[in-house]
Amino acid sequence: MKLDRRTLLTASLGLAAGASTAALLNRPKYDVTRRQPRSRVATLRAESYSYNLESILYSGLELFHLDVRGKTVLLKPNLVDYIPRNHINTHPLLVCAAVECFRRLGAKNVLVGEGPGHQRDTELVLLESGFSEQLHQLKVPFVDLNRDELVATPLLATFTGMNFLWLPRTVLEADFVVSMPKVKTHHWSGVTLGMKNMFGVVPGAKYGWPKNILHWKGIQESILDVCATVPVHFVIADAIVAMEGNGPLNGNPRPLNRIVLANDPVAADATCARLMGLDPTRITHIRIGAQFLGNVSTERIDQLADAVCVPTNPFDVVPEFQHLWVTGSAEQDS
Amino acid sequence: MVPPERRTRKQFLPIAYFTANFAGTVCCGMRHRRARAKGHPNRTSRKRISPFRTFSGDLTIWWFSPRTQRVRDTQQLNQACVQELIHRQLPQGGWPFTTGTTQSAVEPTALALLALPSNLVRERDAAIRLVLHTQNANGSWPAFSGDDGGGSGLTGLALFALNRCGAQGIVGHRAVEWLLRTKGWESHWLWKWKFRTSDRHVRFDPDKFGWPWMPETVSWVVPTAYSLLALKHARGISQQDLAKLRIRRGVEMLYDRICPEGGWNAGNGVVYGFPLAPHADATALALLSLQSEPPNHFITSSLDWLERRAETCFAPWSLAWAILALDTFGRPTALLTDRLSSVVDNAEVNDCAALAVVSLALRRPAGDNAFRVAYET
Repeated sequence: MKLDRRTLLTASLGLAAGASTAALLNRPKYDVTRRQPRSRVATLRAESYSYNLESILYSGLELFHLDVRGKTVLLKPNLVDYIPRNHINTHPLLVCAAVECFRRLGAKNVLVGEGPGHQRDTELVLLESGFSEQLHQLKVPFVDLNRDELVATPLLATFTGMNFLWLPRTVLEADFVVSMPKVKTHHWSGVTLGMKNMFGVVPGAKYGWPKNILHWKGIQESILDVCATVPVHFVIADAIVAMEGNGPLNGNPRPLNRIVLANDPVAADATCARLMGLDPTRITHIRIGAQFLGNVSTERIDQLADAVCVPTNPFDVVPEFQHLWVTGSAEQDS
Repeated sequence: MVPPERRTRKQFLPIAYFTANFAGTVCCGMRHRRARAKGHPNRTSRKRISPFRTFSGDLTIWWFSPRTQRVRDTQQLNQACVQELIHRQLPQGGWPFTTGTTQSAVEPTALALLALPSNLVRERDAAIRLVLHTQNANGSWPAFSGDDGGGSGLTGLALFALNRCGAQGIVGHRAVEWLLRTKGWESHWLWKWKFRTSDRHVRFDPDKFGWPWMPETVSWVVPTAYSLLALKHARGISQQDLAKLRIRRGVEMLYDRICPEGGWNAGNGVVYGFPLAPHADATALALLSLQSEPPNHFITSSLDWLERRAETCFAPWSLAWAILALDTFGRPTALLTDRLSSVVDNAEVNDCAALAVVSLALRRPAGDNAFRVAYET
């Protein structure tokens, strides 16, 4: 085959273009790396929602040697809506226990903040779910993140293709952000745990009720962008009574009798998924989050309290997410 | 003169009634002054129920009757709400969502503009100037000052508020044009096809579309209700062919997304075959936007649901919207107004938008409902 100069030039240009395209496609979509060499998770046993939760939680938090002295701590529970008898929201007694614990640990300010994604009347959700009374007793301020002052914030990851999000000033100015999810299945994203819970910091005043732009840009992608931009310093997951089936609103209660604590949102979500009988590496935002936000492999997670038991009956999920079920006893870790 | 021991019951009761009412009024006035001195305009008056309120007919002395007393108390509370709104108005003329912030937002500003009485010329003018000033180049309104210029689902509310204040003009025409151009994404053929073929978990008809919260998303109930209110009320617009078509589509969308038990939530009635629960505020807004539609079972069932829901509602925002909607359709709201009075009398309302809607609802006993409008036919 005769190779003339013109053919060589064309082939070289084609190769160069291909290599550039491949390099662009392979370029990491995140500008931040928060993955630690090792993560710590504590799975605590709690039989019910009671005033005893504070001592259980405090003993768990002591395992992490957190230094929150003089800091502003923002607790971000999961409040979506209030439907009687449905376990939708993080339980107010657990949130109040966390408030007391962080005060005992020396936090300067402890705030509770949330922007419900479904119900516009945040006051109604607080009143009817029992939060108002509990928070009032503790004299802890609640910030409606849907209606807070907003700041245009460049995103530190580009999975959605959006350049920036308007985010609440309270969240951006907090020194220590604690995600407090309710452990639930979710009919659009498979699960809603510590990372998905951060959707609540995206303000409804700008993005509406629900925050539909995040759905259109891709739920998994949006979770990654939000968690890259708003650091989650700690997770306290309410798995005392979790939800399975058609979550996040209309699923069925499933008692797990556990509280999951972690200093890494990816490790927290991976542990919660294992408790639900789901394979965390098959959940997109957990798998990709493990590249830069935290650890998913059990080899990189130190279990500080009870061992994680995979249930014999995994959580019920909608048909689209049945592939998340752990098959057999051998769970694949990345 | 008849000796006291010889007075009959019929003669005695009006005197006792008058005395009790007079004492109550004096106490209430003192309390009002004390609260004002403490600087809590939200707590200025308290509902006082006369022990004689069960008597009526011949015994009613109109200027001291329980109903008059209640109306006057409600009016005092409303004045306190208005004073608080004035106190929270930002120097630029707008209102933020919550106290302590300086970022004016369109929803609280438009609602406060509707709540301010017409004699507060300076405050209203400042608010109107701000609303006019913040309009985007494309005719829409942003969600808050400094927002990008794409437009928000609150454009309808801003236009409705300006219209009610008689400040529409060219600005209004541009806003109407934007509203007529803007559609939920389910109206696009590609997404319509997707929702008809692969994505069928949410029960809805994509041919029936309204307005989104922000461009490039699907229609939702609240922005659709605000847009319908604005378009139906915009003078000379609602009879244009395109406007008539969009109004019809918007109304159809609301009927399509209704919850099985009546009422509306954010925008979906059934997901994964499971009926979703309605919300009081979204239901009230949807009903207000449907007030000119012929009576039908969608409206009746939603009114019935809203009446039942309001009975157990203690949140000012939802309760106030429920009062406005039920009153617009002629349903009784006196007890709900009493409850709203006691709720806002005993707790501070931090949200300026909620405070404005509360003020609008408290004006209802005086026969004033800003959302009851006469439409062109």
